Amino acid sequence: MHGRVKVKSTAQQEEEKRKEREKKLKAFVSARDAVLRKRSAGEHDEEALQLTQQLLSSNPDFATLWNYRREVLLQLETSREKDEVQKLYESELHFIEACLKVNPKSYGCWHHRSWVNTRLPQPDWTRELGLCDRCLSLDERNFHCWDYRRVVVKESGVSVEQELQFTDRLIGSNFSNYSSWHYRSTLLPQLHPQPAPDSASNTSPSPTASPQIHSHRVCEEQLLKEYELAHNAFFTDPNDQSAWFYYRWLLGRAEREEMISCVYVSRERERVSVAFSKPVHAQSEGLMLVLDGQPQQVEWRSTHPRLRHSPVWLCDLPPGSVSDISNEHNLTVHWTEKYTHRDCALYTGCAESWCRDSATDQELFRSELSVEKSSVLQAELQSCNQLLELEPQNKWCLLTIILLMRALDPLGHEKETLAHFQTLKEVDPMRSSYYSDLCSKFLIENTILKMEYAEVRVFSLSNKNLTTLCHLDQLLLVTHINLSSNQLLRLPPQFAMLQCLEVLEADDNAIESLEGLYHLPKLEEVSLRNNQICKLSDLESLASCTKLTRLDLRGNPVHKTANIDSELSQLLPLVTALSL
Amino acid sequence: MGTQVKDVIIKPDAPNTLLLDKHADYIAAYGSKKDDYEYTLSEYLRMSGIYWGLTVMDLMGQLSRMNREEIIEFIKSCQHDCGGISASIGHDPHLLYTLSAVQILSLYDSINVIDVEKVVDYVKGLQQEDGSFAGDKWGEIDTRFSFCAVATLALLGKLDEINMDKAVEFVLSCMNFDGGFGCRPDSESHAGQIYCCTGFLSITGQLHKVNADLLGWWLCERQLPSGGLNGRPEKLPDVCYSWWVLASLKIIGRIHWIDKAKLRSFILACQDEETGGFADRPGDMVSSLWSPSYKSLHMHKYFACCFTRSCHSSKRAYRSLQYILTSVLYFHPGGSFPHSVWCGWSVFAGR
Repeated sequence: MHGRVKVKSTAQQEEEKRKEREKKLKAFVSARDAVLRKRSAGEHDEEALQLTQQLLSSNPDFATLWNYRREVLLQLETSREKDEVQKLYESELHFIEACLKVNPKSYGCWHHRSWVNTRLPQPDWTRELGLCDRCLSLDERNFHCWDYRRVVVKESGVSVEQELQFTDRLIGSNFSNYSSWHYRSTLLPQLHPQPAPDSASNTSPSPTASPQIHSHRVCEEQLLKEYELAHNAFFTDPNDQSAWFYYRWLLGRAEREEMISCVYVSRERERVSVAFSKPVHAQSEGLMLVLDGQPQQVEWRSTHPRLRHSPVWLCDLPPGSVSDISNEHNLTVHWTEKYTHRDCALYTGCAESWCRDSATDQELFRSELSVEKSSVLQAELQSCNQLLELEPQNKWCLLTIILLMRALDPLGHEKETLAHFQTLKEVDPMRSSYYSDLCSKFLIENTILKMEYAEVRVFSLSNKNLTTLCHLDQLLLVTHINLSSNQLLRLPPQFAMLQCLEVLEADDNAIESLEGLYHLPKLEEVSLRNNQICKLSDLESLASCTKLTRLDLRGNPVHKTANIDSELSQLLPLVTALSL
Repeated sequence: MGTQVKDVIIKPDAPNTLLLDKHADYIAAYGSKKDDYEYTLSEYLRMSGIYWGLTVMDLMGQLSRMNREEIIEFIKSCQHDCGGISASIGHDPHLLYTLSAVQILSLYDSINVIDVEKVVDYVKGLQQEDGSFAGDKWGEIDTRFSFCAVATLALLGKLDEINMDKAVEFVLSCMNFDGGFGCRPDSESHAGQIYCCTGFLSITGQLHKVNADLLGWWLCERQLPSGGLNGRPEKLPDVCYSWWVLASLKIIGRIHWIDKAKLRSFILACQDEETGGFADRPGDMVSSLWSPSYKSLHMHKYFACCFTRSCHSSKRAYRSLQYILTSVLYFHPGGSFPHSVWCGWSVFAGR
């Protein structure tokens, strides 16, 4: 009933149709009432099968009728021999197939077919596979059929290799083959799983053993073959989006090794800040803190109440335990759930200390391919650039080139990357916001890398059209941050992870929300000139930053608030240098 | 050479303003034509149809035009001994309609007219060993039902009655290479399923497990040149995807990745100026030979109205939608909802 175009017609035709409709309705209602009456009376007989058959043929979504039918069939089973039951259900399969011809996307039909196969003394999986082949040849995107096929393949022991070849055939012959590429993505890890890392050197379990998230990684050799397959597909048809989606998956990073990426200790605050490789809920992770060989009773808290799962967690050490600067201490944080830990030594004369794996060490922002094989990516980049010359407006190509460049050398390709993002926004304006955010993410990644190479704790990214902030967990150690002259709308709760921040410059943005400026223990100076801070309440969280003394709010609508000076000095009594 | 992008063309004379009154009249009249063919044919989903209609009327501030008492009585007569609720009288219970019923009763602040404990037992009983949920006793497994289960229990304040860890594990096992979700493990990503799974993960506090950047990209790529959204690659746009895709984007905090203005003009162009209601896509109007209540089969399209409403210049409308969404954010287990809270969509607990 989808896809009919509205047409006007004569009054007579309308009357005829109205009468026809009325007749149909009467027939339906009488059949429906008869069926439901029979069912209420507990009648499970051939007539019930006939009546439901009539109705289901044109109303396969009338789920209750399938239920009734199943009850009848189960009842009939009890009074029949095995070979009769076989016939009963085979004839049922016949009926279902007729329904599917009319309505190949009915959940009810497909489920009933699956159910029948569980009742059949001898299911014929070859026939079922044939049904799937026929159905997919009519509509390769019928996900009901694909799901049914997966069951058939499993039950009948068809090999993964055979199914891979099946996808090869489909991909080769058709556009709109997203379903086939998807199927491939699920078959490959079964056939060519990532080998487990050397257990001697690695404290964490193999990525494929992740219990919670279905891992999709495949071994490198097969991965390279897949690059070729996808590459050939989009070179044949550069608008075949499915191949580009698949390719992006191939370029993606594996799940990061689960570990503690940073431990930071402050003597003055007697506080430990811990950064994990992924968001966690500290109370559920079996965290243990050991100070100088003694386990400590500590309570972990997130940096912001809205972050119930967070990569950064804090705890306070017992008072006096590390405050004497003439003492050296050894601290270990154990993540017992993941069998990993991190040590941090706090030396005499040092007010603070940290231990971390840098983003570079973790290869956070790179593809996971080994160095030799990156020559393949180099070749891919060249080919894509050639394609771009032929199709300069092809957004898939542009985006893929950006991703390839990031996989190979994020810093080296920065300029080209920015230029390509500009082109992307022009050729695909509907997704400008997406491209802006993605570009922002990549710029932040590059700045983190540069900061690490320079071994400084200053993060500066001004005048770069930043529209969003991310990777804030990587900025735990940063003391100075400059985000001026961008297009930021907010400092989100995650900003509270910047536990070492002393100076914030974020002038000339469009910031309305300062949620993330929350209990930042070292924050002394904040400049937010020319933003969109409108209400006094927008500044409330600043009161929790007890070291804040300098605040520049010039050029914000909030200055129009009545009695703003006195309101602010009440809200932020510790701020001595306030500019409005 | 090359694939043509499947899409529609919006004609210059397509509607470009929101015909709110027509839609309100259409829904208010829906169900009064009980002798209508398509109305009768769609009886198998009646409970959901009622829910969709009520919600949209509420958003338009016209809930009072619907017959509250009649609907509540109807729901009472749809609860079966097992606790589950059916789409209509004489139909079998199912999770889909159990959720719709609980949503309606929450909207009407009348949850206790049914046996709540039995509803909880019914939902619990449908959880399988692998954490998944069957739709009913006949065993169909689908992530839609995981969503129905937790949404129902969240509304009743009984989320702790199921095995949450296992339920989450199952849904996550349905995550695909593209960041999306399908019906079952290894099923293809589909906007409807993505809505259910991101909704599920939001309700269960597990949104951090979603790759928001990757999934957000897949979702924003649903937008076609006409401005409409499809449900998966290489498919035609359909106004119901305004809901599934947008809601998913909202849940994962990426709603700004869609071109709002273009989507808005697509949705407006789907309106039927004569009768009220929305068609799947512009130019795809149902023939006037058939009763307009045929569209009741696709009532979820009315949610498209909600989005358009929020784009509308009417600040009150937008604020009320925001209020609804925010109210649901601070859900108190065991409490009852204020009338105007559109509780079914507690999924908006994401940012």
